[in-house]
Amino acid sequence: MTSSSAPSRKALSKIACNRLQKELVEWQVNPPAGFKHKVSDNLQRWVIEVNGAQGTLYANETYQLQVDFPEHYPMEAPQVIFLNPAPLHPHIYSNGHICLDILYDSWSPAMTVSSVCISILSMLSSSTAKQRPADNDRYVKNCRNGRSPKETRWWFHDDKV
Amino acid sequence: MFPSRSKMKVKILNWHAVASWTWDAQDETCGICRMAFDGCCPDCKYPGDDCPLIWGACNHSFHLHCILKWVNSQTSQPHCPMCRREWQFKAWEQRRRGFQLETPGQC
Repeated sequence: MTSSSAPSRKALSKIACNRLQKELVEWQVNPPAGFKHKVSDNLQRWVIEVNGAQGTLYANETYQLQVDFPEHYPMEAPQVIFLNPAPLHPHIYSNGHICLDILYDSWSPAMTVSSVCISILSMLSSSTAKQRPADNDRYVKNCRNGRSPKETRWWFHDDKV
Repeated sequence: MFPSRSKMKVKILNWHAVASWTWDAQDETCGICRMAFDGCCPDCKYPGDDCPLIWGACNHSFHLHCILKWVNSQTSQPHCPMCRREWQFKAWEQRRRGFQLETPGQC
C-alpha cells in the first residue's frame, strides 16, 4: 500500500496548529454523523472511520480515511485518501485516491475536516453502482511510486455522483 | 418626606470612562483561522487596529491578515472562501452606506 507515503512532512505552521486544535475540539463536541476520529497524538495526520449511510450501497460497511495536513493548512487543502480497502465507487481509485474537486482545485480555507467528511459521505451515498473508475488501472499504475493525489491533474466531469 | 430647599453642590474629583467595542461583523469568528473576530488572527498579539477586519464585496468578513494570506496564495483569480464569488475588497464608501442603511437615526 502506498498510502503511508506522506506529502512533504513539514511541521505544521502556528496558524495550522491553532486551527487544527480548534477543529479537534469542535469535532469532539459535535462530530459529524457516521464518522469517528481515531484517537492519536498526531495532529498532522488524522485517521477517521467512516460508516456507510443506511439505505445506500455502503450501508453497514466501514472504511478509513487518512487526512494529512500540509504546513500551511488551511491555505492549502489537506490530502485525503481512503486506506486499503477503499470503497468501490466510480470516483474512488483502488489506491484510495478520491476524485473530488473540493480536495484539489475547489478547496477553500473556510472548509473543515468535518465538512470534507460530509462531502465524501454524500459522494458515497449518491453512488448507484459499486464500481471503480474506468481508468483505474492506468491511474493506479501511474501513482506507483507513492505519488500524492494532490499532484494529479484531475478532470471533474461528473457532477451526478 | 423633607422637601429640601437647599441646593447641594457636587464637585467631581475624578472619573473613569469605560467603553467596550466590537466589530460589526455577521459572524463571531473568522472563517479562515476560526479565531474570534473580537480577538486577533494567530499571527497577532492584540485585537483592534493591529489586526483589523476587512469586508469583501460579497459582504463576507475576515481578519485582513487571513484573507491576504489566502488571496496571495492563489495563482488564479481568488474567490471568497465562504461563497466562492470572485474576491474583491469592499470599498469604504459602500461599507459606510451599508452602515447608514442598517442604523437609521444615528448620526
